[in-house]
Amino acid sequence: MTGNIKKSRKSIITARVVDHHEVVKNHFLMTLKVPIDFQTAVPGQFVMIRVKGRDEPFLHRPFSINFLTSHGTETLIGILYKVIGKGTTIFSRLKKDEELYVMGPLGSGFTVPSDRKKVALVAGGMGIAPLSFLAEYLKRQTSFSEQGIEEVVCYLGASTSQLLLDRERLENTCSKLMISTDDGSDGYHGTVTELFQNHVDAYADSDSIVFCCGPDPMMAGIADIVKKYFIPCQVSMEERMACGVGACLGCVVRAKSHGDQQHYMTVCKDGPVFDIRDIIWRQE
Amino acid sequence: MKSKNVPGMSVNIGGIELKNPIMTASGTFGYGEEYSPYIDINRLGAFIVKGLSRGPRSGNPPPRIIETAAGMLNAVGLQNIGVDAFIQEKLPYFNRFDVAVIANIFGETIDEYINVAEKLGDVPGIAGLEINISCPNVKKGGIAFGDDPDTAYEVTRQVKSVTDLPVIVKLTPNVTDITRVARVVEEAGADALSLINTLKGMAVNVATKKPYLKNITGGLSGPAIKPVALRMVWEVTREVSIPVIGVGGIMNAHDALEFLIVGAMAIQIGTANFINPRATMDVLEGIQSYMVGNDIADIHDLIGTLTVD
Repeated sequence: MTGNIKKSRKSIITARVVDHHEVVKNHFLMTLKVPIDFQTAVPGQFVMIRVKGRDEPFLHRPFSINFLTSHGTETLIGILYKVIGKGTTIFSRLKKDEELYVMGPLGSGFTVPSDRKKVALVAGGMGIAPLSFLAEYLKRQTSFSEQGIEEVVCYLGASTSQLLLDRERLENTCSKLMISTDDGSDGYHGTVTELFQNHVDAYADSDSIVFCCGPDPMMAGIADIVKKYFIPCQVSMEERMACGVGACLGCVVRAKSHGDQQHYMTVCKDGPVFDIRDIIWRQE
Repeated sequence: MKSKNVPGMSVNIGGIELKNPIMTASGTFGYGEEYSPYIDINRLGAFIVKGLSRGPRSGNPPPRIIETAAGMLNAVGLQNIGVDAFIQEKLPYFNRFDVAVIANIFGETIDEYINVAEKLGDVPGIAGLEINISCPNVKKGGIAFGDDPDTAYEVTRQVKSVTDLPVIVKLTPNVTDITRVARVVEEAGADALSLINTLKGMAVNVATKKPYLKNITGGLSGPAIKPVALRMVWEVTREVSIPVIGVGGIMNAHDALEFLIVGAMAIQIGTANFINPRATMDVLEGIQSYMVGNDIADIHDLIGTLTVD
């Protein structure tokens, strides 16, 4: 058989942990050194990771790419995560120079139509993970092109001020950062959905777009608002995954994009970024 | 093409010629396109397509999967595009490959099995059928076809009567005596057997006191089930004369060799594909190097060589 074909084939790569620290209690940022091919990764795409030489966790765990940097031959990606279960508990104990198996970049990313002038990023809690990367990506894009995006406003919500993740980065990359906290410890006292609703008039023109990620009830709330105001909106979804490539059909969400017929779409291959209107948010 | 140093790997499974005994297990390799960026499909012995039904099926609501110790539970619910869409949209993709395509089929009534089998018998490019008899039989109150030897016999006999394609029957392990079902299915005319399908299981989230799967129960797969699968393959190969395909928790060449040694004529890789998209190739290469290292010239000199003192 042909040995050379293998070179062009995708494979699971081994990535080294170059930095790993707890950002705030139970929330970690892990930086991985990855092959140069990752330079093509776009915001919204994700990676599947497993610990090299360990049987647990058994399945890879999916994480959206939180940042991507490239200097010369060194390409780094960031994984921002909260410790929830067995997998993230094991990951949280990884030290610098330990190795991981990484599949990716996987899935479809956010797409920014060239005619959009106003961009809103709406994030709830950990939902900021892919949107921080998008904010950086947009800043790079806009500085390279003369026309295009005029402003990127980030609406960042969390239960309490400590959990407003990536705040400093967003202050640098976005035109404006709007804050909400459930406990009122910072910014608007209430949910990020309410905060966005209070500013939605600014996006009622035809040149706006919203990118959203967060807990399901929050995304469902944003879905209601953008539908009412006819604002295009892309949303990044999450589900438990096994294969990451669309084979096992484990990670589905209920969707409605083909006519009115309800069907299931895979988060890993059809997503993780979807048109918010294609997702069925509530049990009917 | 065989040279002195390359061991003979080809096997015949009930009339299906395979260049090697490595197959992909149904439902774990999609329709082929999903893993073709990772492996050369041509190097597979056979590709078993995700289970096909008469019409499209949307499957179960999520969550559909949960990791458990050394494995996972799934309740995908046999989501598939239906046999017609498969023939029109997916089958042509395989024409470019030199690989045996085996269609896994299921139904909720015997008529559905027959209907799907007839449709697949009429199109070129299908090497054989694998019947999933773990599906609930709606006419018998949802008891799986494979749980009852009489129904297992009937569905096998009737599918055989409408197709010229070799018929492999995939057995469920959720029975008291798998050898009994294996014997009746052989009597009904099956050309080969695949075993095992997933073991029925469940998992509970103690924080919410809810089952992790929306379907409550699901099928357990992965290394956790390998000893059970191996024992069943060993038991069944001693009872039947048709070829047995071993499947259940095979993660690497070592696992695959165990199945071949107890008597499996071929093996299927399932859940391991999720962990390592190259698992099929790693298993193939591992078996070859074991054979070279142990001076085994042909795979048949390895199959069924279990030594019991």
